[in-house]
Amino acid sequence: MRGEAMIVRFSSALHGSLVPLGDAPLFLVLAVAVVIGLLMVVVFRYVSNQKAIGRTKDRLKANLLAVRLFQDQLPVVMQAYARILIGTGSYLRLAFTPFLMAILPITFLIVQMDRYLGWTPLHPEQNFLVEASVDSADALNDIELQVPPGLVISAPPVHAITDKEVVWRLMADRYGRYDLNIRAAGQRLAKRVVVAPGIARLSPVRLRDSFWERMLYSGEAALPDNTSISSIAVIYPPRTIAFVWLEWNWILLFFVVSLTSGFIFKSVLGIKI
Amino acid sequence: MKSCAVGRIRLGAFMALLLLVLLVPLPSHAYAGPGAGFAVLSSFWTIFVAFLYSFYALVTWPIRQLFRLVRRRKAYGKAQVKRVVIVGFDGMDPELANRFIDEGRLPHFAKLRDGGTFRPLRTTFPAISPVAWSTFQTGVNPGKHNIYDFLARDLSNYLPYLSSAQIREPKRHLHLGKYSIPLGKPEIKGMRRGTPFWHWLGKAGVFCSVIRVPVTFPPEKFPGVLLSGMCVPDLKGSQGTFCFCSTRSVGDKFREGGVRIPIEREGNIFRTYIPGPEDPLGSGAELRAQFEILPDVGREQARVKVDSETLTLKVGEYSEWVPVKFKAGLGFSARGICRFYLKEVSPEVEVYVTPVNIDPGRPDLPISHPVTYSIYLAKLFGPYATLGLAEDTWALNEEVLDDQAFLAQCYSNHEDRERMFFDALEKTPQGLCACVFDTTDRVQHMFWRYLEDGHPAAKGVPKEQRPSVIQELYARMDNLIGRVMEQIDDQTLLLVISDHGFKSFARCVNVNAWLHQNGYLTLKEGKTESGDWFEDVDWSHTHAYTMGLNGLYLNVKGREREGIVETGVESEALKEELRARLDGLVDPALGSVAITGMFDCDGVYAGPYVDNAPDLIVGYGAGYRASWDSVMGKVTGTIFEDNTKAWSGDHCVDPRLVPGVLFCNRQITAEKPGIVDVAPTILKLFGLKLPSYYDGKPWTIAAAAAAGK
Repeated sequence: MRGEAMIVRFSSALHGSLVPLGDAPLFLVLAVAVVIGLLMVVVFRYVSNQKAIGRTKDRLKANLLAVRLFQDQLPVVMQAYARILIGTGSYLRLAFTPFLMAILPITFLIVQMDRYLGWTPLHPEQNFLVEASVDSADALNDIELQVPPGLVISAPPVHAITDKEVVWRLMADRYGRYDLNIRAAGQRLAKRVVVAPGIARLSPVRLRDSFWERMLYSGEAALPDNTSISSIAVIYPPRTIAFVWLEWNWILLFFVVSLTSGFIFKSVLGIKI
Repeated sequence: MKSCAVGRIRLGAFMALLLLVLLVPLPSHAYAGPGAGFAVLSSFWTIFVAFLYSFYALVTWPIRQLFRLVRRRKAYGKAQVKRVVIVGFDGMDPELANRFIDEGRLPHFAKLRDGGTFRPLRTTFPAISPVAWSTFQTGVNPGKHNIYDFLARDLSNYLPYLSSAQIREPKRHLHLGKYSIPLGKPEIKGMRRGTPFWHWLGKAGVFCSVIRVPVTFPPEKFPGVLLSGMCVPDLKGSQGTFCFCSTRSVGDKFREGGVRIPIEREGNIFRTYIPGPEDPLGSGAELRAQFEILPDVGREQARVKVDSETLTLKVGEYSEWVPVKFKAGLGFSARGICRFYLKEVSPEVEVYVTPVNIDPGRPDLPISHPVTYSIYLAKLFGPYATLGLAEDTWALNEEVLDDQAFLAQCYSNHEDRERMFFDALEKTPQGLCACVFDTTDRVQHMFWRYLEDGHPAAKGVPKEQRPSVIQELYARMDNLIGRVMEQIDDQTLLLVISDHGFKSFARCVNVNAWLHQNGYLTLKEGKTESGDWFEDVDWSHTHAYTMGLNGLYLNVKGREREGIVETGVESEALKEELRARLDGLVDPALGSVAITGMFDCDGVYAGPYVDNAPDLIVGYGAGYRASWDSVMGKVTGTIFEDNTKAWSGDHCVDPRLVPGVLFCNRQITAEKPGIVDVAPTILKLFGLKLPSYYDGKPWTIAAAAAAGK
């Protein structure tokens, strides 16, 4: 619970800083990627053994050169290959601690940013689906959807028996944040739907258990343990970002830009990676 | 036990959690941040490059093997050995070697002597390293390789220039306002002629690793690897200019080899600079690399800040090699490496900086063949001294460094070279591996004063306090040979050679002064002495002069700018007269013979470059050498004087007095083996035809190793 509280606090802080950026996801991704690229090389600098990394990389390069320089001496070339493999192992071992230091906060940041950048909010008059998954197909007949004013059910529910799912098609007639309710076996379970312009924090699914899945995917409180519904999902359209004549998934763009900026910063700051 | 178990459980839980984060295949896990990205990318890149190259090597392997098989059959088919290892110890003296072997100091050399060969090795005329090592590699006399001394003379102005290589500015420049931007790299012209024997071996398919053989700069292309040695310049283009930064009021200018730089104090920070090369953009200004010293008197140390590096040095301690950058305008810069030595922090601050060496990892000038070989060595072992004369003898001569600091520098460089050599040995299981170690030469030059009684440079040092530097030097080299012998098999021929031996240098002879006093050299009116490089010499009335270490030149009409001696009868008569008068010249103070031989170059040299040779070679007797002034073209009032400098041993004497050494793990039959014979011997060992112009004769070498392991 303490972990969740921290996550909520972090999310609020992130929300405060991201929302003012409004309708500029490209700028947002680029800015965050550059900052993270810088931060990560600086962190790498202080949590890694720079001397050992430098030495290991130099030896790797030396052995690569040896392959070229002594190409006529087959035993020497084979020995150089073996040393390259050993050197690569040493390098990975040296990079492992900094790798761990980087992976946890970055994964967490990515998850949080994915709430904002992974999907686009819904627009008025746009149809969307709501899916509820249950433990047993028998429970499907007991499920009922109640929508607040501003949302309308635009098609009757469809039961997918094999998937143990019920699917509704809905539409919003104006911007707003709505809580729709699903009644099942006498319980009422809410799910947030966001109809908004620009960037907004979205939780595409509300889950019953699995702490890690909720941490990674859901932005809402867990469904009660005693309910027969295992998840309620709102299908938001996935977001793509236009950049250099291509449509990018934001994570891919973030990866490329942060890596590029990291390589630039490491050269400028003389950090060995 | 319980806490240990709890710890294990916690660690297990943590690892499991981590694995979960890493392995759950969700899109947001696809990217784990730049840290991980870098790690994966870097190692992936290495493996990828290695894989690509392996793939290329694998695909082309059959073709290359076939090609190699044909070449190898040709190369090694008639070879008497699988591998030849040549260890060159510059200046190793046969008399000393014999003495130390007899004293039981050199067990490995003793093994070679007793089971293989130990002979004096005839040197060249004159017995100077660039001359002798040029003969070693080309198999010819100086008349065919064109190296007669460290210096050669410019006939148009009587000034010296480096005999082995010339570095010229790029021909074309782009003029932009006040800038003159060089288009292209400096032109480096090697002056040594002839073909090193490893070129013939390489062409025949015998692989060669050649490390720091003198006069191999600029490195020439051949099928093998080579790291240049003696004659590689520093970043300033000189043969080594150290820098001595001091808060003391400026003292005398150093005679040669170094510059004094004042240190400016600003509060607790001391600022100074390293002088660098000339601005490549044509301003004529000297580039400088600033650095700061922050002394900590209590701890007897200081922090030295150079560019982005901060070093902490104790008094009497050297830094590692430090990269330095000399910034010109327009983003141009020159990069090199140097080492700092903290001499003093109180009451004054003094720092010695080695000459700025060409950075082997990013060479501004080519110092190896292929260029990547110096980079390979730098990556494998870290930065190393690349300067030809890397051991700063001038700094010890000028008392900037003391004995210990100089030795520390020598052995540090030596250890680097040992690492390179043993790597080359490992990388050359078949073929030729040759390496020349200079430490033997430099240490003997500087510490001979402690080896003999009554040397003027060791006056006041009681006999019992004289360190056994040279004895320890030979013992170290013996240890090195021991390690080499452990790594070679019966099919490897080991040759240990030196280019010349050594003798004491206790007395200086200024032959220019003798020529002046005997009417062969005339000074300008009113002058009784001349400054450096014949500043006050009246050439129109001068018949002969000396420059460099052993060369005596006639001022020949039509050859020298203001020559007056007619070629033919007059010049021959003058040569004969000078020979007769100088040969046997006696030092009146000691009554001993200072010059034991005067050699007419017409009888010594033969080849297309004899016109560049001196007319006579002065062969000094043991204990004598050309004076410091005479070498620099200075005419003084006295002919003889004591040599009180640390540079107290030398070999620039009568070449008959200073043969080198020849050790071998097999028995060698040769009447009078000479350094000129090494090249033909090696070619013959690999079954190659000898070039017709060779002066050397191959030795007969016994088939089986007699003193191998």
